[in-house]
Amino acid sequence: MEQKAIYDLLAETLGEAALGFSDEGVEPVADVDPAKIAEACTFLRDDERLQFTQLMCLSAIDWDGLDETGKGKSVAILGYTDEGQPETSDRVGEGDFGVVYHFYSHPLKHKFTLRVRVSRDVAAVPTISKIYSTAAWHEREAWDLMGIRFPGHHDLRRMLMDDDWVGHPLRKDYQMPDQWLTVPMAGKNLIANPFKTDEPAGSADSPEPGEGE
Amino acid sequence: MEILSDLIRSMVGEGMSDQGVFISAAVTMATIMFIVMAMCAIIFTWMERKVAGFIQSRYGPMRTGRWHGWAQAIADMLKILGKEDIIPAEANKALFMFGPILVLLGSLLAWAAIPWDRNFVAADLDLGLFYIFAVSSMVIIGILMSGWASNNKWALYGAARGAAQMVSYEIPLALATIPVVMATGSLNTQDIVIAQGGGMWNWYINPVNNPFLFVAFFMYFIASIAETNRGPFDMPETESELVAGYHTEYTGMRFAFFFLSEYANLFLVSLIAAMVFLGGWQAPFPFLEFIPGWVHFIIKGVMLVFLNMWVRWTLPRVRVDQLMHLCWKVMIPISLLCVVGAGIWMMVTGQAAA
Amino acid sequence: MDYELKNIGTHGWASQDHAGEIKSELMELNMGPQHPATHGVLRLLLETDGEIVHKVTPVLGYLHRCAEKIAEGVNYKQWVVYTDRFDYLAPMCCNHAYVTAVEKLMDVEVPERAEHLRVVTAELSRIASHLIALATFGLDMGAWTPLLYCFREREEILNLLERISGGRMLYNYMVPGGVRYDVPRDNWEHDVLEFITMLETKKLKDYNQLLSYNKIFIERLSDVGVLSVQDAYDYGCTGPVLRGSGVKFDCRKDDPYSVYHKFDFDIPVGTGEVGTVGDCWDRYMVRVREIEQSCRIIRQALETMPEGPYLAIELKKPVKVPAGAAYTRTESSKGELGHYIISDGGQTAFRNKVRSPSFCNLQVIEKVGVGQMVSDLVAFVGSLDIVLGEIDR
Repeated sequence: MEQKAIYDLLAETLGEAALGFSDEGVEPVADVDPAKIAEACTFLRDDERLQFTQLMCLSAIDWDGLDETGKGKSVAILGYTDEGQPETSDRVGEGDFGVVYHFYSHPLKHKFTLRVRVSRDVAAVPTISKIYSTAAWHEREAWDLMGIRFPGHHDLRRMLMDDDWVGHPLRKDYQMPDQWLTVPMAGKNLIANPFKTDEPAGSADSPEPGEGE
Repeated sequence: MEILSDLIRSMVGEGMSDQGVFISAAVTMATIMFIVMAMCAIIFTWMERKVAGFIQSRYGPMRTGRWHGWAQAIADMLKILGKEDIIPAEANKALFMFGPILVLLGSLLAWAAIPWDRNFVAADLDLGLFYIFAVSSMVIIGILMSGWASNNKWALYGAARGAAQMVSYEIPLALATIPVVMATGSLNTQDIVIAQGGGMWNWYINPVNNPFLFVAFFMYFIASIAETNRGPFDMPETESELVAGYHTEYTGMRFAFFFLSEYANLFLVSLIAAMVFLGGWQAPFPFLEFIPGWVHFIIKGVMLVFLNMWVRWTLPRVRVDQLMHLCWKVMIPISLLCVVGAGIWMMVTGQAAA
Repeated sequence: MDYELKNIGTHGWASQDHAGEIKSELMELNMGPQHPATHGVLRLLLETDGEIVHKVTPVLGYLHRCAEKIAEGVNYKQWVVYTDRFDYLAPMCCNHAYVTAVEKLMDVEVPERAEHLRVVTAELSRIASHLIALATFGLDMGAWTPLLYCFREREEILNLLERISGGRMLYNYMVPGGVRYDVPRDNWEHDVLEFITMLETKKLKDYNQLLSYNKIFIERLSDVGVLSVQDAYDYGCTGPVLRGSGVKFDCRKDDPYSVYHKFDFDIPVGTGEVGTVGDCWDRYMVRVREIEQSCRIIRQALETMPEGPYLAIELKKPVKVPAGAAYTRTESSKGELGHYIISDGGQTAFRNKVRSPSFCNLQVIEKVGVGQMVSDLVAFVGSLDIVLGEIDR
């Protein structure tokens, strides 16, 4: 079934919550209201005409700084300088977050793409892990890396980053840490090696014995 | 022992008391046994690696000592002895240290009753076979002890599995030798070997003499693989499941004890199989009798060890409940059947020992 | 032989008090990240009652490099090297997945010869990956010897791929718009054909005799870790895991990409030959049979390989991708490897989400692992054939 036809069926069920359908780009995509995402997924999975058995992929997106004109002038992410110090910026992240769901139906062999958009200060989309179990880990990953919460998720913990990590690295305004638990993240000489010093003793840069930490 | 006692007596003269001669002979014998055991651990380590290499289409050790890496096992032993001896902080120290010794002791003691030649047996016990099975059961206590004392869950798993497995497989192991004891009419190991003299057709494995003994041999062989904790029955170690089983926490010398005991045990069970079913130190053909008996005996033992390694490097491992199933529901009934069958066979054919 | 043990549910006798005196409690067992059977740095927190597992909690992230963040900082062609590091056992498949995804947005005409070369190398990589899967699975089951045999054959593949790409494990061979190098002029095609003929006629039979149809092996795996079709769909399982449950689905056939539509091959599925459909043995056997099919594809691709260019872009310049977003999926050796790429029209991806098959396949362990024995859990993890580089990315 064509994606447009699927969207029409979905729009019948969701009513107002179906926000539009676009097939301009390479991949047609349907926008829905985040509040109704669980309902939409249940419909897609259970409807006899659709039978979307599998959630192929769930991607979290940060639209902060996207160049809408398509000229490739989006805001660059912050990395490390050549000296190994984290780059900083005063820019405040402002774009919306999005979550894109890709579905596939094994019996009927058709695909469908759903997209939801939430504002940056809300950053929460209802979970669909009760409808598609595979979403549980995708959502955990989205929370871990993008910082989008999924209310109703049974186990929304950090997944790939450490449990005590601060921040969500895939956000466009994320600043790289200079160290974590006293381990330098990049570059050199972030922390003096307590066991060895490259400079000869007594040079101007190296601390006098007994003076250092 | 008698030869050794005579030798010592002739060397020191008549000035020594009988007890003194006995003690010095026993000490000498024990030393020889220990050296043989340590040697066999070293040789079989090398052999195992070469056999595994042969089966797996690779070479195995090739460098150390030039010729086919013959010194590799010695180098490994030296390395192991040089390792730091670590005792985990939360471990039960006394049991942790005593466990490996008990394991080694269990396999070492059993060597006393092995008859190497007509007049070459450390302890010519009337209950020899019984004694061997009795003392080798001590290994279980050592394994359970070290696994428990390590304070490591994987080690505990290994120990629990090992204890369950070895206690269970003691039964078919011992049951499989009972038909032989019935045929010989003696538990004395030397008597058992002597009864098989005159060529390989007189060995107990010969199915023409008694088919039940033939079956009993295979029961014994399978049980002996399980008893030595080697693949496909290496439940206590199961390196893909339990990391290293009961010796996960052991290092250095204490680990070497387990290592030594594994290969000593391997050779021991093979020697027992050779002794009980394959005629011990008896030559396979009368015209080969000019070769000393202990050479025949060791060749038979090493061949069984090779068979054991072959099995290990070919088969996947069974699961722990399947292992128990195999023991209690298959092997013990068959072994019992062998006992009964062998008895009936001997009565019918008139082979019963006087 | 029936082993009732694995059917004890989560509320078996361990949770009850025996005779009101002896209290038993579940033991927490930490399996990994340094454990021989977890295929890398996977960590499983188990709650066990003796040998029975009552709860499995995978802990991930020990190999996390945040490659998706890196993708936003480097250009499309530079990021191909990171795809090598996902599934480091089948890097060509990962290369293929990524360049296919980028090309879908680029709308570039990829030369036919390049597509054929991609298919050949990707299928060789798939065979190598499946060989490792058989090898390590055998090792998990305690069979050492197949490990060495499979690695011996994999070595041949690595040699072949080294000759065409210059790398032994991490190739960086494909670029959006083609492949980096043409076939070497030292009879490479002939050697590939010779190798796959040897594999098909001789080696696979050896593996089947030594391992697949071994009595102990079958006893260990039949009816163990049964994955129902419903669970497989629900948990997003793909690849040999899904096919092991009897679903005839393969992206190469059902959602063709590259030139796979030109080739004639079958999709092996689990049939429950020695037990239930979807048990560990089925998943294992699907991989063995896929090796045969990959050999067929390679043979066809080599025989019909056209002459011509192998690269449609200039290798020295970074590629520009028009603005747009698309999810592209391909069949890697582990399952459906998808890339969701959002381009802003520049030289770097605005967002590049990777949907890795192992990530989704592993999740099902939380359900199927419960109630099994520890040994069976090892078998189940082995039969999923996970690669941690791909899970943690």
